Order: sequence, then structure tokens, then C-alpha cells
Amino acid sequence: MNASDILFYLISAFVLGTAVLAVTANKIFRSAIWLLFSLVGVAALYFWMQVEFVAAVQIIVYVGGVVVLIIFSIFLTQQSGSKMPKPPLKRTLFFILAVLLGFAFSYKIIAEYGFASAGPVKPFVVPVSAIGEQMLDTKQHGFVLPFEVVSMLLLAAMIGCIVIAMRSVPKGKTIQKHTATVGGFGTSNNLTDVPAASTTPDEVSIMEEKAT
Amino acid sequence: MFSLETITNSIQQWLYSTFNPTMALILECAIVMLLVIGLFAVLGLVLVLMERKVAARMQIRLGPNRVGPRGMLQTAADTLKLMMKEGLTPDGADKFLFNLAPFIVMIAAMLIMAPIAFAKGFQIWDINIGVLYVSAVSSVSVIGILMAGWASNNKYSLLGAMRSGAQIVSYELSAGLSIISIVVLAGSLQVSDIIASQQTGWWLFRGHIPALIAFVIFIIAVTAETNRAPFDLAEAESELTAGFHTEYSGMRFALFFLAEYINIFIVCAIGATLFLGGWMPLHIGNWDDFNRIMDYIPSSLWFLGKTFCLIFLIMWFRWTFPRLRVDQLLSLEWKYLLPISMFNLLLITLIAIMGWHF
Amino acid sequence: MFIKEYISDVFKAVSSLLKGMKTTGSYFVRPKEIITQQYPDNRAHMKLPERFRGEVVMIHDENNEHACTGCTACELACPNATIKIITKFDTTPEGKKKKALDTFVYHLELCTMCNLCVEACPTSAIKMAQTFEHSVYDRNRLLKKLNQPGSKLRAGVE
Repeated sequence: MNASDILFYLISAFVLGTAVLAVTANKIFRSAIWLLFSLVGVAALYFWMQVEFVAAVQIIVYVGGVVVLIIFSIFLTQQSGSKMPKPPLKRTLFFILAVLLGFAFSYKIIAEYGFASAGPVKPFVVPVSAIGEQMLDTKQHGFVLPFEVVSMLLLAAMIGCIVIAMRSVPKGKTIQKHTATVGGFGTSNNLTDVPAASTTPDEVSIMEEKAT
Repeated sequence: MFSLETITNSIQQWLYSTFNPTMALILECAIVMLLVIGLFAVLGLVLVLMERKVAARMQIRLGPNRVGPRGMLQTAADTLKLMMKEGLTPDGADKFLFNLAPFIVMIAAMLIMAPIAFAKGFQIWDINIGVLYVSAVSSVSVIGILMAGWASNNKYSLLGAMRSGAQIVSYELSAGLSIISIVVLAGSLQVSDIIASQQTGWWLFRGHIPALIAFVIFIIAVTAETNRAPFDLAEAESELTAGFHTEYSGMRFALFFLAEYINIFIVCAIGATLFLGGWMPLHIGNWDDFNRIMDYIPSSLWFLGKTFCLIFLIMWFRWTFPRLRVDQLLSLEWKYLLPISMFNLLLITLIAIMGWHF
Repeated sequence: MFIKEYISDVFKAVSSLLKGMKTTGSYFVRPKEIITQQYPDNRAHMKLPERFRGEVVMIHDENNEHACTGCTACELACPNATIKIITKFDTTPEGKKKKALDTFVYHLELCTMCNLCVEACPTSAIKMAQTFEHSVYDRNRLLKKLNQPGSKLRAGVE
């Protein structure tokens, strides 16, 4: 066993251990943190395989994006700090049963086929430009169609976000324009004094309008 | 001529000739680790002193001038004080995460050091995805901040952490877009390639006005990402005592404090690498005589000089501008910086495709 | 037009930020303007600003005369009862009785140097002095009598 193998087993043990902790931790925030470590471990595995691009994307998407979102939603929930109750016995039993079945299934497949040793492989170097060209390649083995489909999906998601976040203006009422500018980022203060979307403006806002 | 490259090469040759490859690699890692930790300590001391001196000069004060000659040992004394202080853990805190958080922030800062080229041939890891790696790892430090805020079990910490998270996640976009605009010009993500592409001039000058706009946006975005004034809402003293590190004391506080300054150094080093050519001396086109004279200045000095110029710029911001409100912060990013940098990226792509740059 | 407004906003913002940076930058390159007083070192030749307020004193001229009529305007003006005026009755040459100052009691330990008493004084009898080294070992020594012994009201001051 050489150093590379030892590293592999260390990283794998880290990924699996933190994954187990993520599902068994009794505080939800700790679960999120263990999940984070597990995902970082996967990224480390990619680094070990010398596919740095995938590793960096793994960190950006999962650590910088997904886990941060999860943590934010945990912050916004109530009782995020309290311990979760112990699961009932029945659920624990079924949980153990499911895990055992999963293990048996995977073990059977692995035992039947085994891992074929790839032997001495030549170093696996993929320049980033090759990935980019492959993404936008229209010829065979090119990924331009999935790439464009995914772009459309993301665009739709972005537009959807904007539509959801947009303030609905009641009929017969024009959007008030505040032109008062204060200081350097003068126009950036109209976010605060956007009045609530009420049907009748209250007296204060009328006075404000007169003042401006 | 003196250069760090020969030193590193001779050390590497000596290691590989004396030990077997695995051992030599481990030894190299140990040396690099020691160097990075040493650099961190020195940077912490120098940058904190520099900040205090710059702040004092801008506010017509003298600044620290009692400990050591002209106050040079002030930060060393402060560090000693912090080391001797008790590291308190609040009673209701999540002890494990509370103690882990400063180390996450610190480790993230250490990891970003890897692809930075300090001088010609003096780079820890010339990874082929260089700047992508930097922006990936820098997103880990926000987790440390969120963790610190939550584990402290304190409303100020939690609010500070949430503000910091929202801020870093939003400003990462425009920082990333301005990094991409230089990647488009240089045609590579690798740091050494980006520096080599500035052989005939720095991108800041070669890319016309769009590169300048990208540089300004980059500086604004990284100032926000490092949670410094005028974007220091995460630790707004007047509102949140100290934000996410309210409950930290002693050495753990020192780690957060150090990480802040290390992050400033790192983002400025990245900015210097992308826009000002890293260790590349000031070359102007084909003026061979001028370029040769500039080559006599060691590359490490060029790198450090550019980086410290940018650090000074960021400190200048801090001691000039008042703190933004949360809504101003977000509308600055989403209504101004992001649209401008997207449009700018288009312009730069056009320049790169048509070959309009110098 | 929207785009025009947007661009002019950005331009205005940048120019105002640059203006601020110019101010601080100009201070940075002119260290001669530093106003820090390195106090215990330059005690002998320290320059205090004109409006620095150290403690309340009463102005006495060379004849040991002051301008305080004992009207207690300062006592009324004081927000935290720092001043206590004790009055007496003098007999004027015409045989009339007239109120006059006996003791001007000043509690330095209570004073916030707010200058309200000086502003209230109708005859400009008191002013703020620039002495500031007030630390003593006994609190009683901060209780001061401002009119000098034997001093009297300057003639002509009403």
C-alpha cells in the first residue's frame, strides 16, 4: 500500500464518517456542518483523482451554494438550536433494516464483479479549455444541447425568482417615484422608503411626497 | 541575479537527492507549512500596524508610537496580550462548533495562499484552475463565519453572521465576473499563464476602459467580501457590538482578526496578479531598454509593492467612507455592480475576440 | 431617460467618493498637520485649543475686584447643581441694603464643563479656564470657593 492508497482510504473514511454524523447528529445545524465536511471530503477525493476542475466546481456549488442556503434556511427556522427528539423505536428498527438491506445489496454487487484494477494508467490531464470546448461542441460527443437546455432552465428559474419577488402594484395606482437623492449612492435609498403595497397611502407618505 | 527561483530549485534538488520521493514530498509540505504560518504571523503584525498608522495619518493623528521604535512593536505587544488572555466559551454555546469556527476561517485563508505567485518561480502550487480554485475556497470562509455566529448563541452574533453571509454571497458574483473578464483576456485560469500573458503590459492598461471598470468593481467587491468598512455591516460596532465574533476572546478572537487581515492580503494579491501583472515588472510594449531596466528590480519586490498598494487603497476606503445600510449594500450590488460587470464582461469578450487590446 | 439617469447616478456616486478620498488622501501626505498633543512629554509648551474648557473660574482684576453680583443666574442654569451662591447684604453709602456675593461655591467634581453658567452670567463674571490637571487624592479638595478672599464687587457693575 503506497501513500496514495493511504490518502484515498483516509479521505473515504472522512467522507463516510462525516456522512454518518450528518444523519445521526441531534442538532440540525450540526447536521448541516457535518454534511458540509462530507461534501468537502468528496471535493478532496476529486483533488486526489487530479480532476481539479470538478473539485473546484464541487466546492463552489455544494459548499458555497447549497450548504450556505441550507444554513440560511436553518437560521430562519424556529428552534434551530434545540435538540431533536429521539425517534420512536419502530422508526429506528426500520432504519436499521433499510441500512442492512442497502449494505447487503451493495456488497453483493461488489463481491460479484469486484473492482478491476486499471493498472498503470497514464496521467489524466484535462485542460479547462478542453472542457469548455466540449461543452459548446456541436459535433459528435459535444454537449451543446444539454448545456443550452440547462441554461434555459436556469434562465426560467431566474425569471421565476424575479416574478415572485416583484411587488404587485394595485390597479389604479401608479408607482411612486422618489427622486430625493442623499449622498453618494443617492438613488440606492429608494428601497427603504418604498411604501407598503396598501390601497390608500397613509398620511405620512402623502406628506413625504409633498415634501419631495 | 538574485532570485528566489534558484533557492527553491536547489532545495528541491537537495531534498530529492537525499530522501526517497515520498519523504521528500512530506518534508517539502512541512517546509511550505512552516513558511505559510510564518508569513501569516508576519503579515498579521505588519498589516495591523500599517492599518493603525494609515488610519492615524488620515485622521490627523499620530497612531501607535510608544512601543518600540516609532511604535513598530505595538502589534507584537498586542499579540502577546491576546495570547495570555483567557479564551472564554459562553455557557449556552455549541462548544464544538464555537471552537471549530475560527480554525475553519483560518484554514480557508491558508488554502487560498496555494496558487499565489509571490515571485518568479516562487509559488506553492501552480494548479491549472488557479483563479477558479481561489474563488471556490474563498466561499468556504463564509461557512466559518456563519458557524461562529450560530454557535455563539447570541443574537448579535447571529445577526452579524447572517448579514455577512448575505453580503459575501452577493458580492462573490461581481468579484467572480471581474475575475472572469481577465480570464477571458488572458485565455487561461492558471496563475502562471495569466502572469505570463502580461509580459508586454499589465491588463489594467492593455484592456482599455473595460479593464479599468473591471478593476474598480473587483476592488469594491473584494472590500465587501472581506467585510471591511464601508461594508462592515457584519461587525457594525454601533449596532451589533462586534458581529459574529462578539463572544470570542483571547487567541480565538486573534485568529478571526488575523484571518481578516490575511484575507485582505490574499484578495489584494489576487487583484495584483490579475490586473497588475503579479510579479511581472512594468513592461511597456516593445521598449526593450525600458523593460530591461525594470527587470533589474526583483520580482518579489514587484509583487509585494503592487499588493501593498492595493492594500493601502482598501485601507484608504475604510478610513474615508461611512458604513452603508443593508439595503444600500444590496442595491449597490444587485442594481449597480452586477449589471455593470455583466455588460463589461460582454465588452471585454468583444475586445478579446477582436484582439483590440494592446 | 432611464439609462441616462443610471449613468449619471453612477458618475455622481464615483465623483463624490473620489472627493472624500481626496480629503483623507491629502491628510495622509501632509503629516505636518497632525494635531496630536503628546501630553506628558510636551507639558511645558502644550497648545490647547482656544475653546477648550477646563474649569470655571471667576475673573478678578488687579484691585481684587470681580463682577459677580450674586444674581444666581449661573446656579439656575447649571444642570447638575455644581454651583451654589451664598449671598449677603451690604449696606450702600446711601444706607440702603443691597444683595451681594458672599461665597461662590463650585463643585468641580460635579461639573461637566458644559459652559451653560458662563453663558448665563449677565455680567461676564465667570469664565472657563484651560487648566485640566484636576486629579487630587481627596475629593474635598475639588470643592472650590471661586471668589478670592477680600474681593469685592467692581464699582459700576449692576
